[in-house]
Amino acid sequence: MKPDSTARFFEALAGREHEPLLRKSTGCTRFDVVDGRRIRSWRVSVTKGDLEVKPGGGEADCVIRVDRRVFDRVVTGRMNAVAAVLRGEITVGGDWRLLVAMQRLFTGPTRRSARA
Amino acid sequence: MSDNLVKILDGNTFVVSTESGDIEASLTDPTGLFSFDTRFLSRWVLTVNGERLNALSVDDLQYYEARFFLVPGTGAVYIDAKLSVIRQRSVSSGFHEELSILNHAATPATLEVRIDAGCDFADLFEVKDALRKKGRYATKVERRKLRLGYTRGTFERATTITSTQPARFDEDGLTFRVRIPAHGEWTTGIDVVTELLGAGQAPAEQESPARSRARMKKNLERWVADAPRVECDWDSLEATYRRSLVDLAALRFSPPIAGGRALPAAGLPWFMTMFGRDSIFTSLQALPFTPELAATTLRALGDWQGVRSDDFRDEDPGRILHEMRYGELTAFEERPHSPYYGSVDATPLYVVLLDEYERWSGDRALVRELEVEARAALAWIDEYADLQGTGYIWYQRRNEETGLENQCWKDSWDSISFRDGSLPGFPRATCELQGYAYDAKVRGARLAREIWKDEALAARLEREAADLKRRFNRDFWVDDGEYFALALDPDGRKVDTLASNVGHLLWSGIVDKSKAKALARHLLGPKLFSGWGVRTLAVGEGRYNPIGYHTGTVWPFDNSVVAWGLRRYGFKEEAAEIAAGILEAADFFDGRLPEAFGGYPRAQTKYPVQYPTACSPQAWSTGTPLLLLRTMLGLEPHGDHLVVDPALPTEIGHLELLDIPGRWGRVDAFARGRVETRRGRR
Repeated sequence: MKPDSTARFFEALAGREHEPLLRKSTGCTRFDVVDGRRIRSWRVSVTKGDLEVKPGGGEADCVIRVDRRVFDRVVTGRMNAVAAVLRGEITVGGDWRLLVAMQRLFTGPTRRSARA
Repeated sequence: MSDNLVKILDGNTFVVSTESGDIEASLTDPTGLFSFDTRFLSRWVLTVNGERLNALSVDDLQYYEARFFLVPGTGAVYIDAKLSVIRQRSVSSGFHEELSILNHAATPATLEVRIDAGCDFADLFEVKDALRKKGRYATKVERRKLRLGYTRGTFERATTITSTQPARFDEDGLTFRVRIPAHGEWTTGIDVVTELLGAGQAPAEQESPARSRARMKKNLERWVADAPRVECDWDSLEATYRRSLVDLAALRFSPPIAGGRALPAAGLPWFMTMFGRDSIFTSLQALPFTPELAATTLRALGDWQGVRSDDFRDEDPGRILHEMRYGELTAFEERPHSPYYGSVDATPLYVVLLDEYERWSGDRALVRELEVEARAALAWIDEYADLQGTGYIWYQRRNEETGLENQCWKDSWDSISFRDGSLPGFPRATCELQGYAYDAKVRGARLAREIWKDEALAARLEREAADLKRRFNRDFWVDDGEYFALALDPDGRKVDTLASNVGHLLWSGIVDKSKAKALARHLLGPKLFSGWGVRTLAVGEGRYNPIGYHTGTVWPFDNSVVAWGLRRYGFKEEAAEIAAGILEAADFFDGRLPEAFGGYPRAQTKYPVQYPTACSPQAWSTGTPLLLLRTMLGLEPHGDHLVVDPALPTEIGHLELLDIPGRWGRVDAFARGRVETRRGRR
């Protein structure tokens, strides 16, 4: 099966090692990505910005549950993560501060207009 | 909002009802139970034997708690008061109501006690703009509870109503059949709990109402005890100060999305949410009193600093947010507030607050912790805000549909106009923005040199600041009027109206010394000064209107900044004059200054006329008496010491501010009133 945007996002994240935007965050976030009847999980551990990404489940401080089609759009900047949380398309359990930090990693929309 | 509504709140949950405790909201009025920008109860009407109740009195026990004393029968005349009804209501995760009925008769009473309940689940924006709902309602009646629900796709909000005494629940409320013995009493507790649910998400753990009340009470006591004490021989000032402290406590909120930190929400009822500009100004005003507000504001706004370019949200890397919302319209991206970044002053002001906070607190650790954010904010000023490439901050929204046209503090559509009333095109560069940018660079330079140890950055920022000041004093100065233009239009023409914004320029320090005296004369002159305070727009300008939102009303917050600015340039007596006017106005509002009041001349109205839809309490109005105290006392950190250089109006006589917290530990300030204001001379 060819890797989808979600899988590519976690692969790229694993290669990032350190993310300055998360330098004040420490904790483990588990993403439960629902794909039909299957749930694929990734755990992203942050230690003051140092990242470690592991496929699979396990204990976490924050659990983010989301449908794969939704997450594909979020990680490619076609959907805003915060609005999706408010809508209930992304659900969050545990430490919300990690959600606030993780949403900074998602790509933004392609800018439609340059400066006026 | 009409004045006889009863409002209680905690964080961003609040209840607005009539004096009998009833709620009968229409789509367009802001009564009801609100939480996270959603109305969770729009109907809540108590009857006894089919009769409505009449209010005898209301006690605002605490900001989160009220007690309503009622008797059956409406209208001015009631003959038969054999029953008393007491509703005691406190905000928790929703609200808790303790309903008691006292039978004063010598015979038992058999009663049907009924509460009608209903909810429209309106988004606060829908209430403000009278919009219609798109989702579905679902009411579920169970034996011991009523659940009112609303869903739109995965978006789900619900209100659950339960009672400690047995009740019969139906789709429209609950009914008690009660028999109260002679001279007896009957009581029930009713809980109204709000739920924000996503797909498959469990509701957050609820705190019991009793625990929540105890926590809020303790928290408030500690908050007031930690703040400095005011002692003076003007009772109204002591009362205003206490009111401000309590309201500031009430307006603090800690949404999960801000990492659970408490920061000031902007104001009741429309703005119970995180606002960049309002949170920053309120934190600045409160620095000498409750410095921890500044620290939490800086951290929370830093967490949400822009990281991408998003036209819908007017987001850029480094930009500080304007406004966060949690309601349905935001969730479905019909509004951009998730969060919205459309203000251009919050970003430079972020750096200003960080520096001012360190000067007071000596908390260098926070300045180091937020170095990346502060540098990104400074970079935003040059890389993203200079839309015309002329070295000024400009604004023009990229979200043409639901973004804000005016991205300065005067953010209503007609706030920026030429003398003849015509509106300039976009982008616009209002004058106070350039002052904030100047101040951010000067203060950023200090932080860079002393704490980040980056001499190159410090030198560059100082160079840029000096250059900005030179150009600004040339490009914005209106020669024939001797003041700074309100703005530049896209062709670089001066928008030549006289407005209160010139006072902010004094605060920022961008004004050449030689020009300051003319500004002080304008600010205290008859066109701008009403006798209570400085008007947003001067009398005689095309759009001047004494009850125009940003075109003639007096804003207490604006005045506190203007007074601070006058002090900065040595105009102590002028600052005292403004402080006296605003604090006297506060007395007419029982110590709670509204967002704005009318710009009518004081001699004409004798009392300050409240602006019709003004928010109250509103954070930066609440912070105003605090900043005025600082200004009158001339409090200024100097190294590890606090300098006190008072200039008090004679009305105050004598003033002590005790236990002022800061890098010096705690110190006291004393002053005597020596400045004769116009009122004093009258």
